[in-house]
Order: sequence, then C-alpha cells, then structure tokens
Amino acid sequence: MTLEARDVLLAAIGLFALFNALLIGTMVLNWTERKFLGRLQGRVGPTRVGPFGLLQPLADAMKLVLKEDVSPGPAARAIFWVSPMLIFVPAYVVWLAVPVAPGLVIRALDLGIFFFIAFSVLSIVGLVLAGWSSASKYAVLGSFRSAAQLVSYEIPIIMALLAVVVATGTMNIGEVVEQQGSAPLVAILPLAFAVFLIAGVAEVGRTPFDIYFAESEVVGGPFVEYSGAHWAIFFLAEYISTLLIAVLASLLFLGGWRWPFGDGLPAAAAAALVMGKAYLVVLVIFWVRATYPRLRIDQLMSFGWKVLVPLSFAAVIISAAQQFYGWHAATSTALSLAVLAVPVAIQARYQRRPAMERARRYAERAIANRQTTSVGG
Amino acid sequence: MLSGIRGLLTTLRWLFRRPVTAHYPKHHLPVQDRYMGFPALLWDETADEPFCTGCMVCVRECPTQCMSAQMHDNPRAAEGASHRRKIIESFSINLNRCILCGICVDVCAFDAIEMSHEHELGSFSRTGARADLPILLDLGRSFQAQTQWTPTNPEKNVAQVALAKRAAGAAAKGDGQEEPS
Repeated sequence: MTLEARDVLLAAIGLFALFNALLIGTMVLNWTERKFLGRLQGRVGPTRVGPFGLLQPLADAMKLVLKEDVSPGPAARAIFWVSPMLIFVPAYVVWLAVPVAPGLVIRALDLGIFFFIAFSVLSIVGLVLAGWSSASKYAVLGSFRSAAQLVSYEIPIIMALLAVVVATGTMNIGEVVEQQGSAPLVAILPLAFAVFLIAGVAEVGRTPFDIYFAESEVVGGPFVEYSGAHWAIFFLAEYISTLLIAVLASLLFLGGWRWPFGDGLPAAAAAALVMGKAYLVVLVIFWVRATYPRLRIDQLMSFGWKVLVPLSFAAVIISAAQQFYGWHAATSTALSLAVLAVPVAIQARYQRRPAMERARRYAERAIANRQTTSVGG
Repeated sequence: MLSGIRGLLTTLRWLFRRPVTAHYPKHHLPVQDRYMGFPALLWDETADEPFCTGCMVCVRECPTQCMSAQMHDNPRAAEGASHRRKIIESFSINLNRCILCGICVDVCAFDAIEMSHEHELGSFSRTGARADLPILLDLGRSFQAQTQWTPTNPEKNVAQVALAKRAAGAAAKGDGQEEPS
C-alpha cells in the first residue's frame, strides 16, 4: 500500500475539520449545559454575552487561553505539560472511527468498537500522570481515584458493547447502524443500553460520578495545579468524551441514521438525526447531573462491581443465548427487562421501610445478641 | 430507585417554572414596607417645608457620627404659615458610615426622619455617598409617596394641625377673657 500525497492532504483536512467541529460542539454543549442546568435549578444560566448568552463559551475560552499558565515549583515539568495531551489525544482519536452519517467518517474501521475501547482506556494514563507530576497531595489522590473508577467502569462498558457486537455480528459502527433498520438496538438490548449509559457517564466523570474531580474533597483532582490553556485542554477532553458517549449511544443503541426514517435520508438530514438523538442523551446526562449529589467513593466502587458488572455480564449472556439458540428478538427484550428489574426490586424493597425503622431493628437485634453472649459468658 | 425517580421529576418540574433570578440592574425586586434603608428627611406637605427643625438630637445619638445638621430661624413662622420657629438649614449624612441602625428615627421628636427604602450606594463620584439636604428630602418625598407614611404625632408636628390647634386654643382663651368683662 502506498501513501499518496492526496490521501495525506485529505486526511489532514479531515482531521482539521473534525477538530473544529469538536471545538464548536464543545462550546454548544457547554452553553446547553449551563442553560439547561440553570433552568432545572430555577436559575437562568448565562444571559449577558451575546444573545441568550450564546457567546459565553467563546468568552470563557478566550479568558482561559489568555490566562497565565503556571506550574508548581516541585512539579515534574515535562510530564506536567504533556499529560493534558495524553488525555485529549485519545478522546480525539476515537472520533476518527465514529461516523455521524453514512460515509461521513475519516476512517471507517472494521474494528471501530474495539478501537473505541482501546483508546478510551488510555486517558487513565494521562490522568494518573497529571496527578503524579503536579506534586500535590490532592492531585495524586484524585488520580488514584480516577484510576480506580475508570478501571472499574471500563468492564461494564466493554461488556455492554460486547452485547451489541454479539447481537449484530460486527464491530464496524456503521454496519451496526445499518442493521437497526427495523428496530433500534435499545429495544432488543435495554439492559446493555442502561449499563452503557451509566458506565459511560462514570467513564467521563460527570456528576454523580465526578469522584475524581470532587471539588469538596480533592479540590479538582488531577487538575488542581493546572491553569489557563492546559486546564482548557482537560475541559475540552471531558466535553468531547461526553459527546462521544452520547453519539455512540445514538449510533449503537438508538438506531443512528437508520431508524425511524429508513435508508433514503440525505447526508445532512442523517447527521442531524444522529446528533439530535445524541443531544437527547446529553440532556439526560445533564438532567441526572442537576438531580443527584456525588456518590461516595465506596458507594461508587460497590455499585460498579456489585451491580453494573453482573448486569453487564447478564447482558452479554442474554445476547449470546438469543443468537445461539435463534430466539425471537422479543425474548431478549423480555429477559433484559427481567434482569433489570432485579436491582430495582431489591432497591425498592430496601426503600419501603423507613430508615429509622430499619435502624431500630438493627439496634434491637444488637441488644438481643449482646444479652445472649453475656448470659453464655 | 423510586425516590431517585422522584428526584428526577422534581428537577424536571423546575424546568417548566419561571426562573427565580431577577436581572439586577434591569429588574429590581420590590422591598418590604418594613425594609430599613438609608435615613431620609420627610416633607411636611401642609406647610411646604421639612419636618426637621435641626434640633440635632439624631446627630448626637448617632453611634457612627455620620450626620451633621444646622438650624436657622424659620421665615415662614414669622409669616404665620408654620408653627416651627426654627428649621433645618443644612443637613448631611455620610452614607458610607451609616450602619442603618434606626436610632435617629427612634429619638426624633418631630417625625422628621425615617428609614427609607433606598439601599443602593454605588456612584461615579468620590463624594457620591454624601447625601445633603436636597437629596435627603427627595428620598423622603419618594418614600412618603410610596408608602402612605403618616406622622405619629400630627398635633405637634404637622403645621396645619398644629396651627389650627393653636388658633382654636387662642380663640378659646380669647372667649374666656371676653366673658368676664
């Protein structure tokens, strides 16, 4: 295979266009988040810079770029300056394989889903290095937390994607979309979708899973010592990843450009459909952010390992069994919903009893135990 | 899970409510009638002059000494239009020093000073926080217009009422003198 100048030029143009699209996407997302979050909390969000505050992200970006970039004295300078890139580049590179319309992709990889998994794990390295190199206790604590959280939630997200791969028989994201002509995959694999969305939110570290930024605990985690443009790169990476999770949910689970309008859409309309679905997912993520407080780290880990990991394995098994035995798709839906109902039922059972009553029962039991042991002793 | 869903619905309900934010310089939230802003001097409509006689009791009682006042003879008393023989000539309050305690209002015997609703201190000049007599009287007039303020002791302090009472008293005294002669 020879590399021609024309291919290189086209790739460069594509990368540049993608980068700018992502920049604009980040700004739109940032504005949407602040406006939407504000309204959900009875506020109005940005209103002053431009009509409806639309230029606020631009003003923020300018402020961040013009700000002085400082680094702590004892920091490991080289790693300190490189690690923002180690976080941003994986988040950006994954987008190369993500089609937002049929053919509208820089490189349609046959192993697109595998590519996503491989590169999304890489950002952990950047986070840990950023924390370690800033020579700050908070940053190191934050980066340990990020390593624990991201490694834990990597498993459910991979398993949820594996369920998709098993159901569709391909790792090419475009082909997964093409197979959803009659029904989106979320109808067949609701369990995998739920796991993917929750683990995806944890993966990009948005509230309620922002354990490793956690301003009130580790004052910003691995990013404490960063300022100015380097901090802006972290910020950019976070928003790009959020958008990526939303677009993947839209492509892999919500039918991408194939559902509900079928095949004949022009490219612009197809892209608009995909992005519209992605923005719905993003709004749900913001909505959850506006509602729930941050989890404690032990709650996060136990939720990940005791709830999400078993659920994701169940999703793979259901998907595989359906393919292997050739069951009807509705069987998979029913089984998924049944499995999904288990943690909901357990939680509801715990919740039906008021906390005080439960505490009193524990206390009574403890007193009873003490009496029997004292009699025995 | 169930309470989690209830939480989501609660935030969603806020989406369809009007935001509570008021954009401050454009929209002012109304203050309560009992709100204590900066002190203002009140205006006696019946005599077309201030209530304040410049007795300086507020100046002496002010814990931060933010006020100063001077009195002079009231020309309108000589004309018979007012019962106040002395009246305020100049009054000034340094609003930066004022702590809005309201002691000046409590000690005033002439219903002359009141805590107005004015609370905005920003200005473009160095002396912007110094309120002199015309400013204080303007504040007082707008405060009276907004709140339907009524004097606590009209018989003593409102010119028309006090003059009428004095005239009635004089007439009664005059009648008493005429009868025995």
